[in-house]
Amino acid sequence: MSEAEGQIPKHALERLKGLRGQGHPDGIFTSDFSVNEFLLVRKAGFEPIGLCIGSCIYHLGIQYAGWSKNQELTTLSQAMYHARELAMSRMREEAKDMGADGIVGVRLTVKRMEWDNNILEFMAIGTGIIHAQGHPGYKGPNGQPFTSDLSGQDFWTLLQAGYRPLEMVMGSCVYHVAHQGLFQSLGQVGRNVEMTNFSQALYDAREIAMERMQHEAIQAQAEGVVGMQLHEGSHNWQPHVIEFFAVGTAVVPIATEQDASVMPDPQLVLSVNS
Amino acid sequence: MIWDPGDNAAVQREAKWQRALPNDQLPDFVRDRLKAAGAGKVPWMSTMTPAELLLSQGLGVRPIAMVSGTCWYHYGWSWTNGHPEGWHIALERLRQEALAAGANAVVDVKMRTIEMHAEDSMDFTVVGTAVKIDGLPPSTDPVIATVSAVEFVRLLKEGIVPVGVAIGANYDWLDPFLVGNPVANFRWDTQPLGTLGDFWRRVRQRAAANLRTDVKRLGDGVLAHTYFGQLLRVKEDKQPVQYLGRFIILGTAVQCKARDNVIGHIQTVIDMRDDLSPLKDPESHSHSAYPVDNDKEGAI
Repeated sequence: MSEAEGQIPKHALERLKGLRGQGHPDGIFTSDFSVNEFLLVRKAGFEPIGLCIGSCIYHLGIQYAGWSKNQELTTLSQAMYHARELAMSRMREEAKDMGADGIVGVRLTVKRMEWDNNILEFMAIGTGIIHAQGHPGYKGPNGQPFTSDLSGQDFWTLLQAGYRPLEMVMGSCVYHVAHQGLFQSLGQVGRNVEMTNFSQALYDAREIAMERMQHEAIQAQAEGVVGMQLHEGSHNWQPHVIEFFAVGTAVVPIATEQDASVMPDPQLVLSVNS
Repeated sequence: MIWDPGDNAAVQREAKWQRALPNDQLPDFVRDRLKAAGAGKVPWMSTMTPAELLLSQGLGVRPIAMVSGTCWYHYGWSWTNGHPEGWHIALERLRQEALAAGANAVVDVKMRTIEMHAEDSMDFTVVGTAVKIDGLPPSTDPVIATVSAVEFVRLLKEGIVPVGVAIGANYDWLDPFLVGNPVANFRWDTQPLGTLGDFWRRVRQRAAANLRTDVKRLGDGVLAHTYFGQLLRVKEDKQPVQYLGRFIILGTAVQCKARDNVIGHIQTVIDMRDDLSPLKDPESHSHSAYPVDNDKEGAI
């Protein structure tokens, strides 16, 4: 029977048997890639080696703020940042042990323990990948594996755009928004009016989170940050305590910047499936 | 990283916010950060995906920074005026940030609101990515668009210019003293509720008319609109039942001549996947802070 009749190619059989294949030092890789993601990461010239996981269980102490005071709760800001950083660095350690060049598709999650409201579990999980030809130029800052929350598809596209990921950068700010006093409430009877203390608090909290993220990008010597997201969350804290969390992937040009004219023009298609 | 700059620094920072916001200005630390991003001295920050980055590069559109505007607005006096006012103030603040960044446009502007309840008021926040276009000097009036970076680039490519965010809103009470109880006589019959239906239609029409007026200020038309409406039944103690209808529409205003700039060849494809196809994915990213399916009385 020939290959054309549906036989599994020899190299695929070898891989199924767990034999050493290029890019997989121990023969078997693990990943949470979808099929399309897998194909595109390979198209980009990389091979997955293994799932990298880092986690951290953190007890968050209580920090009080004045009832009518806008202020950052610095202890909580730091804790939320530190916990995520711990999870991320543990994930990166796993990647390093595997010899990965970097991690793609990182998901960062926070989970509250049912049995204690002050205990949070932070988890970072992604797939470690390695350049199939052993190209040394894809590592992150300080020779560490790069980290990125981009999917396999996004990773391929980013390389097409002439950039490579450096690391996930983030900034957190937990903020107490002042309650409105009676005087202020009386002042707004009968008219539409801005409640400036609220505006100011949200503005400042977001600004702090973004400043911190940008600071990380500067440290990483990035050119920019793609896929930046801003999350607002209240992790079951008292009302008026809100976390602003900015996160994105810091990137740097692969070589010299590509000329605009070489960028492919997208083709317009319309799906006619009903 | 500096975690706690000390009470003194926090007080100074607060004072700067207090001076800046009522005067349509930005605190110096925000302005300096955005200026540095505009000059390329600090890394750019963008909500763009890599695909959007790739396409934007092809047209010389470059991200500068994520910009935002927030206004917590009390609309107890007039919902109709209050909601557009809240969004307009937030948009104006976003525009200030875009100016500081030396941007030509802000794309992917999303409306957000924080889940924190305060009576008859809410957070009106807009965030987006400030961009510059190769070869253009910084704009004195940057374009603000709710469309994503890819859609923005696509529109420009077809000669259609997104120019800003247009808003139309209306609310009204249906007064039982004037019309009688609009539901009472119809309890057992299957038939249209004319009075209530007409009332609700008028509220929507007025909101749409207000949108049209707002668009006129900016361009020739409006795209990608999103809306939010509520028809509420209000029963207060010993008072007859009243009905409150309120409706708000938001969209991106564009400048575009009729029958001009029609796109070229489109290839048709049949996607052979049986389940949900990425081409048919109904989950477009929402730009609205309003819960569209939510007909409960809420913070809005």
